[in-house]
Amino acid sequence: MHLLLLLLEPLLKIAVVIGGLMTAAAYLVLVERWMAAWMQDRLGPNRVGIPLTKIRLFGLGQPIADGVKFLCKAEFTQEHVDKALFLLAPLIMFITAMAAFAVVPFGSVIPPDIFPASWGIKEPIRLMVAPGLDVGIIYMFALGSIAVYGVVLGGWASNNKYSFLGGLRSSAQLVSYELPLGLGIVGVLLASGSLRLDAIIGEQARTGVWNILTQPLGFLVFCVASFAEAARLPFDLPEAEQELVGGYHTEYLGIKLMMYLVAEFLHMVTAAFLLVILFLGGWHLWGLTGAGEVVTWPIALLRVIVLLAKVMGMILFFMLCRWSWPRFRYDQLMDIAWKVMIPLGLVNLIVVATCNEFGMPLARWMGVSAEWAMMAAGWFALLASWLVVSLLDPTAGGNRPRHLRPAEAIPADWEAQS
Amino acid sequence: MNDLPIIPILATLLGGLAFWLMLPRGTARGRGVGALAMAMALGLAGSQMPRVGDWLDNSVFFILAAVTIVSAVAAVTFRNPVYCAIWFGQMLLGTAGLFLFTGAQFLAVATTVVYAGAILVTFLFVLMLAQPEGKAAYDRVSWEAMLAAATGVVVVAALSMIIGRTFAPEGALYPWLGMPTSQQLAANVLTPAHVARLGGELFGRYLIAIEVAGVLLLVALVGAAVIIGREKR
Repeated sequence: MHLLLLLLEPLLKIAVVIGGLMTAAAYLVLVERWMAAWMQDRLGPNRVGIPLTKIRLFGLGQPIADGVKFLCKAEFTQEHVDKALFLLAPLIMFITAMAAFAVVPFGSVIPPDIFPASWGIKEPIRLMVAPGLDVGIIYMFALGSIAVYGVVLGGWASNNKYSFLGGLRSSAQLVSYELPLGLGIVGVLLASGSLRLDAIIGEQARTGVWNILTQPLGFLVFCVASFAEAARLPFDLPEAEQELVGGYHTEYLGIKLMMYLVAEFLHMVTAAFLLVILFLGGWHLWGLTGAGEVVTWPIALLRVIVLLAKVMGMILFFMLCRWSWPRFRYDQLMDIAWKVMIPLGLVNLIVVATCNEFGMPLARWMGVSAEWAMMAAGWFALLASWLVVSLLDPTAGGNRPRHLRPAEAIPADWEAQS
Repeated sequence: MNDLPIIPILATLLGGLAFWLMLPRGTARGRGVGALAMAMALGLAGSQMPRVGDWLDNSVFFILAAVTIVSAVAAVTFRNPVYCAIWFGQMLLGTAGLFLFTGAQFLAVATTVVYAGAILVTFLFVLMLAQPEGKAAYDRVSWEAMLAAATGVVVVAALSMIIGRTFAPEGALYPWLGMPTSQQLAANVLTPAHVARLGGELFGRYLIAIEVAGVLLLVALVGAAVIIGREKR
C-alpha cells in the first residue's frame, strides 16, 4: 500500500504529461497549418469537425483525422532495409523526445492545503515529473545527444544512399549546434548557480530580472541553436525533398514516419519550454505571480497559466519564423554554427563570468545596482558583436572553391586583360 | 581452504567458456550452447550478489545490471559492426542507469553525454562510412577468441576478489581502497546539492588535474586545426 502511494504521484504526473503533450502536439500541428494558410493567404484546414456529422467547428477535428490516417496506413516495410534498426531508429527519436519532459517544470508548486486533510499531503507538490534530479539541464542534453542515433541509424538502416547522406547531414547539424546550445546555457547557469530548471526560474523570480535582459547575446545564440536542434526552418534540411531528396526519413511511412514527425515537433516544444524557462523568467511575471516558494492556489494556477502562455507565444514565434525565411544552404548552416554562433557564445560566457566576478565592486564604484551593470554589459556585448559580425562577415564565400572566390577570380583590371 | 568461494569461481569459468563459444570465430557452431552457458553463469554470479534495500531496490538493480551485462556480451559477440556499436551504446546507458541508481547523478548524465552522445556517434560514423555493406570477412570474426576469453576470466576474477572483500560482514568498508564511508557518501554524494559538492571538489582539491586535462585537450584541438590548415595550402 505504501509503495503504491509512493508510485501514485509520479505515475499521475507521467500520465498527465504524456497525454497533454500528445494532444498538444496534435493541435499545434493544426495551429501551424492555420498559420501557414494565413501567411500564404489561403483558407487552410477548416472542414473536418465532429465525425459523422456535418458540423465543421473551424476544422478542429483535423488532428483526429490526421492521426487515424497515419495509424491506418499499410504497415509496409521495404525489402532492402535493415529491419531491426529501421524500427529502432524512430523509437529512439520518439522516446528521447518524450523523456526530456521529465525534468521540465510546468509551473511552480501545488500547495498542500487544497487537498483534503485526510490525504495526508504535507509537502507542496512540485509540478515536474522528476523533481529530485539535480542535473536537469545536462539530462536534457544527454537525451538530445541520444536523439542523434535516431537520425543516423534511420539514414543507415534505410539502405538508400540519399537517406544515408541525409542522416549524416542531419546528425552533423545536430552535433554542431549542440556546442552553441551549450554555450548559450552556460551563461545562465553561471548567473543562477544551479543546474535545476525550477531553481533557475526561482532565481529569476527572486531578482525580478529575466536572463534575457542581462544576457541578450546568450538568448540569441541559444535561440538560433535551438531552431537548428529542432530542425525547424530555416534549418530544416531533412524536409528538402526537391533539392536533396529529403533526409534520413525519406524511406519511412505510416506510424514510423509519424513517430519521427511528432518527435521533431516535440523538440520544438522542448526548445520553447527551455527558452521560456532559461531566459524569459518561466512562471514569473512582474507584479502578478509573486516570487516565493509558499503560494496559495490562485497564485499556483496563475503561474501555470503564465508559463504556458509564454511557451505558446514562443511556439507561435517558431511557426512565424517558418514562413519568414528561406532555407539555409548546408555550408551556410555549418558556417553559422562554427564561425558565428560559437564565438558569440564564448563572448557571452566571458561577459557573464566577468560580471559575476567583478560586477559587484564595479557597480558599487559607479553607484548603480549590480543588475543594471550586468544589463549594460550584456547589451553592449550584443551590439558590439553584432557590429563585428556584420563588418567581418565570416560566412561569406567560405566554402567556395579557391579559384572562384571573387577577390581572386576577378582581378581589378579584368577588362583590360581581356 | 574450506571457505573457498566455489560458486563464484564456477560462474567465472563457465562464463569464460560461454564467452569463447559465443565469440564469432568463423563458425556458428556452439553459439546457442554458449548463450545458454552464459545465462547460467550470470545466474550463478547474480545469486552471489549481496541484497541491499527492499525488493524494489533489488529488482531495479538487477534489471539494470542484467541489461548492462547482456548488452556488453552482445557488443562483442555480434558480427555486424553497426549492431555491436548499438549494443555498446545500450551498455553505456545501462551503466548510466547504475550510476543513477547509486545516486551519482552527474556521472550518469556525463557518461551518457560523453560516451554515448559523442564518442560512440563518431564510431558509428566511421563504421558506416568505412563499409556500407559491412561484408568484409576480417571484420566479422574475432581474431584471438581464446586469449580474449581467458583475459576476461582473469579480469572478472581479480575484480570480484577485490570488490568482494570490501563487503565485510559488518558492512564496514576498507579505507585502503579509497572507498568512502557511508557518512561521507551521505554528505557528499546523496545530498540535494549534489553537483555543487562535485564542482567544489573538482575545482578545489583537483584543480591542477582539471587544468592539466583542459590544456591537453586544447593542445589536441590546436594540433588538429594546424594539421587541417596545412592541407589547404
